[in-house]
Amino acid sequence: MSTTTPLTYSTECTELRTTREDWDAASPELLESMLVQMHTIRIFEEVVLQLAAEGLVHGPAHSSIGQEGAAVGSVLALRGADGVNGTHRGHHQFLAKGLAYLSPNGMSIIDGIKNDQVTEFIRRTMSEILGLKAGFSGGRGGSMHLQWLEAGALGTNAIVGGGVPLAAGNAWAQRHDAEVHDDGGQAGGMGVTVTYFGDGASNIGSTLETLNLAAAWRLPLCFYIENNLYAVSTHVADVTGEARLAARGPGFGIRSWRVDGMDPLAVYLAQKAAVDHMRAGKGATLIEAETYRYFHQNGPFPGSAFGYRTKEEEKQWRDRDPLAKLAAEMTRRGLLTDEQLTDLTLQITEHITRIVDGITEKDPESAKGGRRIRPTLWPDPAAVDTDIRSEPALTGSTTEGQTEAGTEERRFVDAIADVLGRRMDLDPGVLVLGEDVHRLKGGTNGATRGLKDAYPDRVLGTPISENAFAGLAGGLSMTGRYKPVVEFMYSDFLWVAADQIFNQIGKARHMFGGQSAMPVVLRSKVAMGAGYGSQHSMDPAGIFANNPGWRIVAPSTPHDYIGLMNTALELQDPVLVLEHVDLYGTKGDIPAGNLDYQLPVGKAAVRRAGEGVTVLSYLNMVDVSLQAAGRRLDLDAEIIDLRWLDRASLDWDTIGASIQKTNNVLIVEQGARGTSYGGWLSDEIQRRFFDYLDQPVQRVTGKEAAPSISKVLEAAANADLDDVLAGFDEVARNLGRS
Amino acid sequence: MATIITMPAVVADATEAALQDWLVKIGDTIAAGQPIAEIETEKATVELQAESPGTIGRLLIQPGTSVGVGEPIAVLVEAGEDEASIDKQIASAGGASHSHAEHPVPEDTEAPTTRRDTRPAAPGASQEPSRNAQGRASRIFGSPLARKLAKDMGIDLSALAGSGPNGRILRGDVEAAGRQQAAGPQPVPKAEGPLPAAPTASSQTAGMQNFQDVPLSGMRKAIARRLTESKTTVPHFYVSIDVEMDALLALRKQINQDSIPAGQKATVNDLVLKALGGALVDVPAANASWQGDAVRRYSTVDISVAIATTDGLLTPVVRGLENLSLSSLGRIMGDYKERASAGRIRQQELDGGSFSLTNLGMYGTREFSAILNPPQAGILAVGAAEQRPAVRDGQLAVATVMSCTLSADHRVIDGAVAAQLLGAFKRRIESPLSILL
Repeated sequence: MSTTTPLTYSTECTELRTTREDWDAASPELLESMLVQMHTIRIFEEVVLQLAAEGLVHGPAHSSIGQEGAAVGSVLALRGADGVNGTHRGHHQFLAKGLAYLSPNGMSIIDGIKNDQVTEFIRRTMSEILGLKAGFSGGRGGSMHLQWLEAGALGTNAIVGGGVPLAAGNAWAQRHDAEVHDDGGQAGGMGVTVTYFGDGASNIGSTLETLNLAAAWRLPLCFYIENNLYAVSTHVADVTGEARLAARGPGFGIRSWRVDGMDPLAVYLAQKAAVDHMRAGKGATLIEAETYRYFHQNGPFPGSAFGYRTKEEEKQWRDRDPLAKLAAEMTRRGLLTDEQLTDLTLQITEHITRIVDGITEKDPESAKGGRRIRPTLWPDPAAVDTDIRSEPALTGSTTEGQTEAGTEERRFVDAIADVLGRRMDLDPGVLVLGEDVHRLKGGTNGATRGLKDAYPDRVLGTPISENAFAGLAGGLSMTGRYKPVVEFMYSDFLWVAADQIFNQIGKARHMFGGQSAMPVVLRSKVAMGAGYGSQHSMDPAGIFANNPGWRIVAPSTPHDYIGLMNTALELQDPVLVLEHVDLYGTKGDIPAGNLDYQLPVGKAAVRRAGEGVTVLSYLNMVDVSLQAAGRRLDLDAEIIDLRWLDRASLDWDTIGASIQKTNNVLIVEQGARGTSYGGWLSDEIQRRFFDYLDQPVQRVTGKEAAPSISKVLEAAANADLDDVLAGFDEVARNLGRS
Repeated sequence: MATIITMPAVVADATEAALQDWLVKIGDTIAAGQPIAEIETEKATVELQAESPGTIGRLLIQPGTSVGVGEPIAVLVEAGEDEASIDKQIASAGGASHSHAEHPVPEDTEAPTTRRDTRPAAPGASQEPSRNAQGRASRIFGSPLARKLAKDMGIDLSALAGSGPNGRILRGDVEAAGRQQAAGPQPVPKAEGPLPAAPTASSQTAGMQNFQDVPLSGMRKAIARRLTESKTTVPHFYVSIDVEMDALLALRKQINQDSIPAGQKATVNDLVLKALGGALVDVPAANASWQGDAVRRYSTVDISVAIATTDGLLTPVVRGLENLSLSSLGRIMGDYKERASAGRIRQQELDGGSFSLTNLGMYGTREFSAILNPPQAGILAVGAAEQRPAVRDGQLAVATVMSCTLSADHRVIDGAVAAQLLGAFKRRIESPLSILL
């Protein structure tokens, strides 16, 4: 008979409820601030719903009415410099954080929101929700993407759980700042970040991966679940076996609290306890606030109107309204009269109405006297694509690295470690993270050799959670203080991390109106030919090139790797650095004693000059193309090593001059046709240079399927020298030759 | 139902024709057979006649525009039809409307039935589909670069043979044509396969703007294409003879004084033409043409007569020459010359012909050799009749002599036949009464 012993969690999960003593002990200033903030949020939200009903909010208006206490109680336990982010339902958290930031000494019943800065803040928030240029993101973000970095509002997110890894990045920066500056013990401890999300986001990978990562790295990150019971219309009990969401925390080793979200003081006290825990360096926390949205997912109708819950249920929750609860306790303590409360709500209503009146006007085309947005307030449509990426402003030497000291031969993979080490040495903001980068003498390929010993706190071996650690890097880069260098052990893992890579990192700068830089460098290994099969062998260039935001570099020599990595680390944009396994063992000359040179943005290299056909390639296929050109001297190929592959950085000058000379183009790449890079490129070429083309843009790619593990099948799937020669033959055939 | 009128294939191997002018306007009611437009082909300006009555609903082509054969140019409507039905009809006809839009047509399909053949009925003219010499449909394949270069250089793509896949015309093809053009008047041979390297003589003028490119007229294009084809594919050989003209000139003088109706003169050329016609009756083996798989011998003598105009050369056919009286011939030639200079020769007057005569005598040319006009197997080039020393019975004398050179297609005419023909010709010139018999 086996024995069983109960296993207990290493950390606690507790439920916090207030008592009358707590309410009596709460400072009047705190309660006044709560009252003013909560009423401001509710009236603001009611006005938004009214505008939505008039058709003036383009897109959804996710009302937070009913959840004000959960946000205000939490934010009032934070400092102005602490970070928060949230989800699509984030107006209340954003307003609370902004109001708290602008009123470090609290808000009063007498003054309400009579304050120019507060007025401007509300006007900009309303403008953003309406998609107007006066908004924080110039109207690009709207209701679901509210960001004001100065106030610690890191940006709300329309991908459920998508903001959680980004918050972890901010928290890592806060912890590292505290360690570097050794202020862990002073001024109340390190900064913290609270990531707000709902019951729906409790079940998605980004959140679960980040719970683990934040616990493992003891990040000052609070996972704050506003459990309003419904993910749109799906009840939390329908989709989880443990509907007490606070119970998730201990499984990850995270100290957790459950609290009544309709009791703003309870929320405040729970958040205070969590903040104390985090500032003391004890790591991540989790709070589940049980709350309720009075309305449906979006719009001005209650959820009962859609049949997924009852009016009785809604009434029970409304009877526990957090605003009424707070007013009752304050009245009981003699801190508030009915008249004062009426005056306060009237004053806030008038104030917000005036703001909206400044934004709207009578619609001359409306027969019913309706309103419209004042036309002058819309953003300029011509700016639709600005802020996708930064304007490069390089400070380093952009020579090709020819120094008086001459050159020395270096292995490609060693050049990677050399340049990363050099940058980490000179820039304390550079850090390296990825799976096994800290072990195995520099990761699985040796590209980070020696870095862990030299910079132990900035070389981070991650859990196998590409979405979480890629997102963490995104959050780090948004701070403006850190430049993470992420390694993907195999490029196919981009699909695992696709939300963070494309929805978050790629889009953030543009979506938030250029408020933040996104200097993430992603080193991604292309392992074609290594026998790793269908899920480890892709070339991701085509996928990245077709998504906005990313710059792409593809070095084919150790010299180029150093120069391109130096440039990548100075750009304020996400940069994908492709590394091909075939190149790791190759050797090439680098400038002796110079690891600081930069290669200019958007400059390709002509590896072989020719008059007959322009061959565009990158990475290992540059050399294969050169071999092919050597066998087809009759075609006199001009081989261009693209080096920069993304839409903004492609060297059209060099490509164009070559095409205008040769009138024939062959694009050479190794990988599968479907995800290939050349499709995009040939499309651009035929439109830019149609009148210069003497034949269709020809292409060499692998086959349709992802490469198999079997050696012969893999060789058949990938393009090799024979395929490139066949491409040359096709070029010749189209020239009427053989 | 609205009816689409398409560009007719006026000339057998033309791929396009220019609509010179509309003779009707939108809203005009027209009768069958009424001329509605003037169409300039490579050789002639013809009137396009309506096949059926109706009302002009829409004119799709601006005057002066070149249009591919078979493409819609106008829409005829019946009473009560509106713009929508016109659009519908155009769409169903292939969509080409205002522009010279090109639609690839599979090589082996006939023209769609909605495209009605509106060629004027030419007696005896065979109904040929609108194909060019290679048998490919009217779409010309050319690379984007080749098209641009050809446009810039004023080179007609239809005159080129493409060396790329599917006969696609490439940069090299156009450039070779450009070098040929610069090197001399010879247009590019329409040869299969890669073109030979071009001569380098044009390098003298390369890069210098000491020239003017004159755009090719339809006639110039036709001359270029047809004569290039002839000179490069037909095995020419040449036989010359001098004929004494004194007797003929004396006869002409007499005729013009006595016989011909007032106001009409017999020309030397008319008499030479009659003499040639007689010679071809005498030597029927020379009155023949090359048909690829047969040699065609003609039972009548139809001679194409070269008439120079300001735009180029026209060769209307004088038919049944052996039975024409001199006065009839004179009237026909007079009419041809007049209409040739006005650009009003009809296409059917240019078709056919079993032999050609070309005469540069009026320019004082002594002798020259001409290029055959396929499928004809012979062309006689005559120079000026001039006084030259002549030896008669060992005595030096003065005679009026004309040098003539026959160009013959050796596939059809052997040397002996050519010599016999010239001999017969000489006899008839020097015994001119035989011409009148």
